Amino acid sequence: MSRPQPDSSPHCLEFHDVTVAYGRRPVLWNIDLTVDGPGLFGIIGPNGAGKSTLLKAALGLVPLAGGSVQFFGQPLRAVRTRVGYVPQRETVDWDFPVSVFDVVLMGTYARLGWFRRPGPRERELARDCLARVGLADVANRQIGRLSGGQQQRVFLARALAQQADLYFLDEPMAGVDARSQEQIFAVLSALRAAGKLIVVVHHDLRSASEWFDRVALVDMRLIATGPAAEVLTPENLQRTYAGPLDVLDELGRAVARRERTP
Amino acid sequence: MTGPFPLPYNTLVVAGGMAAVGCAAGVVGCLGVLRRRSLAADAASHATLAGVALALAATGRRELPVLLAGGLLTAIGSLVVLVMLRRFTRTREDAATAIVLGVSFGLGITLLSGMTARGIPGSAGLEQFLLGQTAALTAADAMLLGCLSVAAVTLVWVGLKEVVLVAFDAPFAAASGWPVFAIDTALVALLAVMVVVGLPAAGAVLVTALLVIPPSAARQWTDRVATMLVLSGAFGLTAALVGVAISAAVPRLATGPVMVLAAAAIFAASFFLAPKRGVWARWRQQRELQQEWSRAGRDPTQAPTKAAGRSGP
Amino acid sequence: MNILNLLGGLAGMHLWAIATAAVVAAGCAVVGTLLVVRRMSLLGDAISHAVLPGIVVAVLLGGRPGGLWVLVGAVVAALLTVWLTQVLHEGVGMSEDAGAGVVFTTLFALGVVLITLAASRIDLDPSCVLYGILELVPFDTLLLGGVEVPRAFLTAGLVFLCLLGGVTLLWKEFLASAFDPAAAAAAGLPVAGLTTGLLAATALATVAGFEAVGAILVVAMLVVPAAAAELLVHRLHLVMGVAIALGVLGGIVGYLAAWQFNTSAAGMIAVVLGIEYALAVLFAPGHGILARAWAAAGLAWRVACEDRLAVQWRAEEGGERAAEAGVLNRLVCLWLRVSGRIAADGRLLPLGQTEAMLIVRSHRLWEAWLGRHAELPLDHLHPPAEWIEHHLGSEVRRRIAADVGQPAGDPHGRTIPPEG
Repeated sequence: MSRPQPDSSPHCLEFHDVTVAYGRRPVLWNIDLTVDGPGLFGIIGPNGAGKSTLLKAALGLVPLAGGSVQFFGQPLRAVRTRVGYVPQRETVDWDFPVSVFDVVLMGTYARLGWFRRPGPRERELARDCLARVGLADVANRQIGRLSGGQQQRVFLARALAQQADLYFLDEPMAGVDARSQEQIFAVLSALRAAGKLIVVVHHDLRSASEWFDRVALVDMRLIATGPAAEVLTPENLQRTYAGPLDVLDELGRAVARRERTP
Repeated sequence: MTGPFPLPYNTLVVAGGMAAVGCAAGVVGCLGVLRRRSLAADAASHATLAGVALALAATGRRELPVLLAGGLLTAIGSLVVLVMLRRFTRTREDAATAIVLGVSFGLGITLLSGMTARGIPGSAGLEQFLLGQTAALTAADAMLLGCLSVAAVTLVWVGLKEVVLVAFDAPFAAASGWPVFAIDTALVALLAVMVVVGLPAAGAVLVTALLVIPPSAARQWTDRVATMLVLSGAFGLTAALVGVAISAAVPRLATGPVMVLAAAAIFAASFFLAPKRGVWARWRQQRELQQEWSRAGRDPTQAPTKAAGRSGP
Repeated sequence: MNILNLLGGLAGMHLWAIATAAVVAAGCAVVGTLLVVRRMSLLGDAISHAVLPGIVVAVLLGGRPGGLWVLVGAVVAALLTVWLTQVLHEGVGMSEDAGAGVVFTTLFALGVVLITLAASRIDLDPSCVLYGILELVPFDTLLLGGVEVPRAFLTAGLVFLCLLGGVTLLWKEFLASAFDPAAAAAAGLPVAGLTTGLLAATALATVAGFEAVGAILVVAMLVVPAAAAELLVHRLHLVMGVAIALGVLGGIVGYLAAWQFNTSAAGMIAVVLGIEYALAVLFAPGHGILARAWAAAGLAWRVACEDRLAVQWRAEEGGERAAEAGVLNRLVCLWLRVSGRIAADGRLLPLGQTEAMLIVRSHRLWEAWLGRHAELPLDHLHPPAEWIEHHLGSEVRRRIAADVGQPAGDPHGRTIPPEG
């Protein structure tokens, strides 16, 4: 359910009847979700539930089979510089010849635009972001020589350098040691205190209720959304984990093959 | 001998042009290796033969620019086919590349052989595009190729930040609003152009080696993209010059294989000698670490303070 | 006419060349199927280039082209390639693609240089290395049982029989390792050994094809028939069978076309194989381009017919007449009238009634299911049900009805028609 807005300002993030398909096979069915900031918002659900897909669909990385996503009341392309992104770590080649500092500097590229090189202001910003995640001392190290937690913090610093109002993080705590997790959470809390909205795809149910103000429970469709304590009830979890996924599976296959289900 | 130089003007210009080509191949090849598009370049290079033959058949002209223009058309055509195979069939990437490579080369051979059999003038000379022969280049040709190479390197320098961003983390680039597909296409087009530019020197079969071996060698010496580009250009330039020189001294040797062997020699040297990543350096690091640990075993207060190698994931 | 005379005459020369091409293609198809299925096509590319120095060195040391030592030299070169690629991968962290690219181009260049420098002692021509001399194969013969048999045909034939034998003996192992190498290794299969065997087999197939079609076009014979077969059939033994058939067909048609157009047989064979692949892409049942277009059209037609019936049913439920508009609508109505589903004035006949009821039942059941399991506002339930209604069958409907508690009405309060 969407919270009623006290004034008529647009929602930070709005999914409107979003359906996403891989090939012809739907993996997300008719998602209707509104998120307002500031705050830490979690997208929770089982593996393969489509949480990352929802994020990628919002960012235009996978095409929408139906529906639309609005940011601050506008399409993404109008407000790109207000949206930051921390993708999953698997997509990157860690042998790539770039240093930690180079990676963080990449966060400033979008505001620079085509063909302009980063200047002293951008470098200052990158140094500052590195300091905020506690990696100032490894700035010149090649990225392959970092631990998992350090790599995640580099990506976070890069997102900070984007100077956005709305941040998307895709499973930032996966494979990260406990100390790095706390450091990352501290940075996110600071962002929240500064008035930003942070939307996080999170894999772990137990930590979800501690970290997030509000959550959305997703498993191929939106099951429930609201304050973490209200949503993460045993009844809702039952609906998620013991849900009627076989129906959706059968339907997905039938749609992909252009047939009826049995 | 004419003028102050010990070599004739023609040879100097050809050498200079080929040096530029080798350098550009190394530089552009770096981006191809980083973005993992080298195999697509291999398919494109095998397709150039058909284009060269078609250009001769269609226009009857043997000038290098005409032939290379034909080669570029089929090179780009083969890349388009590759993309379409990926989109519209279930055939996997590696098989699709091999199909485009083999069939387009077969088409080229068919055209070449058919034209030679019919005695079409100039068709016998097309054979040199298989393995390269710089001795057949005129000064004008070499200057054209050199200028194209300089233009290619300039383009790389201008668009470097965009290409590195996309090569390193394409999803992040896309989410930030960069047109990843357009940048990728531009890079692949530049690779195709470099393949065609390198065609007279190294031949269709081996030109991609000039796009792959110098960058791989350069990677051994540095962890920064800019340095890698400079080194790769230098290695490519050296390999090209060695190829031209040896091929001029032993005329029956095709230039392509010699350039590739020169590049491979540089790679082998880098493989063994490079600091930090080279085989010898690693062996030394291992020995030092072993010595430190065995010393620590005898005296625990002397524990090693620096870690060797990587502590990555 | 005496068959021996026929074989000895000019036509016989062509027949032998065709037979050699066919046997080479068959051998390559056997190996190529396994390469393609295991996503090792580019290793096939690499090995077909890298065997060149092995062949040259073998010939320099006294072996005959096509003889046993050449086969040995080729296999050694292939194994060297793989070993060097591994060394680069483990030694300096180069990706396998990049490492293989460095290794095989270097070896190929080495081979060409050796041939050129030793030209006086070898009768291999560098450009022939690239595209073979199929036309000259029938002139280098051995006397076998009173018949002059081309040596290349014998070599290719022996290689084919060995390959077929080896694959048949180890069929289960190859099948398991192709499908899931990790699981196979965990189950104790010698996956590494099988892979090495496959690479050696690739080297043998390359050498067998060397004189016929040269190094590079061997790649086409390895990969293209298998890739085309993969589009047409789906069990491994069928894929291999179809690949062999396509390869042999390509060899025969390619040679004849080259004869007709007076051009290189090897090149023409590759082109013909490419055409076979293109035809497979177009005409493959199920996933071919035409099949998919047909299925899409079929779905669009079915949806249009079902929508018309459902509209009519809802109109009759609400007591109104449904409007008709558009060309497609008229075609659909024509078909529905002809097939006895609607009457001339547009009202539903019993057959159409039953079908329409099931569509509307599917629609409203899906709205009920969504209402129960997803957080969606009331006005968002209709659009998804609009297209799901065409994909729900009786079994899944039954499960949905049971899950939602056999409701009488959808979330909007409208009655859900009964099943059947």
